[in-house]
Amino acid sequence: MAIEVKNISRTYHAQNTKNGKVAALGPISLTVREREFFAILGPSGCGKSTLLNVIAGLEVPDTGEVLVEGRVVDRPGPDRAVVFQEPGLMPWLTVRENVEYGLKLRGLSPEERRERALQYLKMVHLTKYADARPHQLSGGMRQRVSIARALALEPRVLLMDEPFSALDAQTRDLLHDELQRIWSETHVTIVFVTHNINEAVYLADRVLIMTAPPGQMRRIVRVPFARPRDKALPDLGIFAAMLHKEIKEEVAKVAARELDPDWTPASPQQTLDPAAGI
Amino acid sequence: MEQRNSVDREGRLRVVALQLAFMVVLLIVWHAIVAMGFVTRYLVPSPVDVGKAAYDLFQSGVLWKSVGLSLYRMICGYSVSLVLGTLLGILLARNWVAKATLGSLVLALQSLPSICWLPFALLWVGIDERAILAVVILGATFSIATATENAVRNVPPIYLKVGQVLGARGFTFARDILFFAALPEWLGGMKLGWSFAWRSLMAAELIRQDALGIGRLLEIGRAFNDVPMMLASMVLIVALGMAVDWGIFGVLERQVRRVYGLEK
Ligand SMILES: Nc1ncnc2c1ncn2[C@@H]1O[C@H](COP(=O)(O)OP(=O)(O)OP(=O)(O)O)[C@@H](O)[C@H]1O
Ligand SMILES: [Mg+2]
Repeated sequence: MAIEVKNISRTYHAQNTKNGKVAALGPISLTVREREFFAILGPSGCGKSTLLNVIAGLEVPDTGEVLVEGRVVDRPGPDRAVVFQEPGLMPWLTVRENVEYGLKLRGLSPEERRERALQYLKMVHLTKYADARPHQLSGGMRQRVSIARALALEPRVLLMDEPFSALDAQTRDLLHDELQRIWSETHVTIVFVTHNINEAVYLADRVLIMTAPPGQMRRIVRVPFARPRDKALPDLGIFAAMLHKEIKEEVAKVAARELDPDWTPASPQQTLDPAAGI
Repeated sequence: MEQRNSVDREGRLRVVALQLAFMVVLLIVWHAIVAMGFVTRYLVPSPVDVGKAAYDLFQSGVLWKSVGLSLYRMICGYSVSLVLGTLLGILLARNWVAKATLGSLVLALQSLPSICWLPFALLWVGIDERAILAVVILGATFSIATATENAVRNVPPIYLKVGQVLGARGFTFARDILFFAALPEWLGGMKLGWSFAWRSLMAAELIRQDALGIGRLLEIGRAFNDVPMMLASMVLIVALGMAVDWGIFGVLERQVRRVYGLEK
């Protein structure tokens, strides 16, 4: 088991609620297998990022613990790399220096760093821009660098929090295929948070569907399609539409809680259409 | 891209040319008004008189001595307030106890013109160089502290997360990430602090009787009813202030912003 999440829950303080607290996540337990591509779907605010941050060691859960390859997570570590929605490249460093920075902190020699940075920039096809500044790159290129920076640490687990949701559809399509290739080349375990159901169905081995907040496990779905997958395949669309229906139920729960009482879910005919969400 | 750059440069050149032309016209108009006898020459000298006064100051060596002394005071006082203000700012940004207690004090003191400290400073440290330094330090420290605090606070949270994930902690994080992420805004604060320090110094030099300095020159000019000298000192004050503001801080800031991609 690459990742074992045991009974995790997290509550935040908030001023605008009755008891000054907001239950953000869980309790939730799950396991992610070695070399698995594991996607997480759920309504907005259900605690997907919180879960990912707990696995990353960026946040401490109120209850429970996370094991990565048998070791308890208590802080960020070299076995786990994270790619966020924002690339978060450091503008005062060149592209290569950005990729090298984590390696420098690991104590690699300048030659080793350089070599490894170029190796991973090559993996995302950006060696040409090694000496450019981040601001000279497009959004998609920046996210590529961010992926290279994470991979250069040679982590056991790659955690991705909506990494492509700020990109245009064409760039996203390209990066989907790149990520699949990288995943099969590096044997890294990937946990991939997304709002995009098609993305999850296209990329993942299994998909976790979370409930309305505080996010618990609604269901884990195995994606039954062999790789390489074809985005145009109607089966993928039908499968996505099925997941869409489940998530819509959870979203409706959130909306019923948050919106005025006169709100009702839209007519179900639209969501049963297999072509929806393709 | 190249084309746009050259257009930008052309545009900038045009602006500079216009500025120069405006100055020249201003000088000519000023000179003409004085030469045609519209004003009492003794109260409003012509630019030529001012130039002559400046040249006399330069010849006698007083000019360099004054500039040297004033800049020396600035460098001493400003360095101290840069260190103090930066440390105070970091403390205010990262420690809520400090923010709740010292924070309001800093805010209050910032609204007190630092020259108001001079009487106190004279009482405490006596009539000597240290009183001027105290005023300069007090003039810049609080604005640098406030700017530093904001610079640290405004560091995008993504860098904190990225830093942690890459393994930067404690001092390493502060040196490698926090410092650079806060740099553009901090530089703005440094620039502001310098201009506050400059104002404070000029005020202090005007009031204090016994040491040379550019502010002093202005006051000496008044004592001798030497209006050209007064104007020459004022031009000097403006010129020096602008030289540091643009020549040092402006260039630094622009350089940093260009590297970071904050401006073309
Ligand atoms: N630092 C925080 N302080 C207070 N509340 C927080 C904090 N971080 C998250 N929350 C709350 O916890 C809940 C879960 O947040 P989280 O970001 O994990 O959700 P998410 O599923 O990632 O949402 P999204 O899909 O919008 O990214 C939300 O209600 C959010 O408002
Ligand atoms: Mg999120």
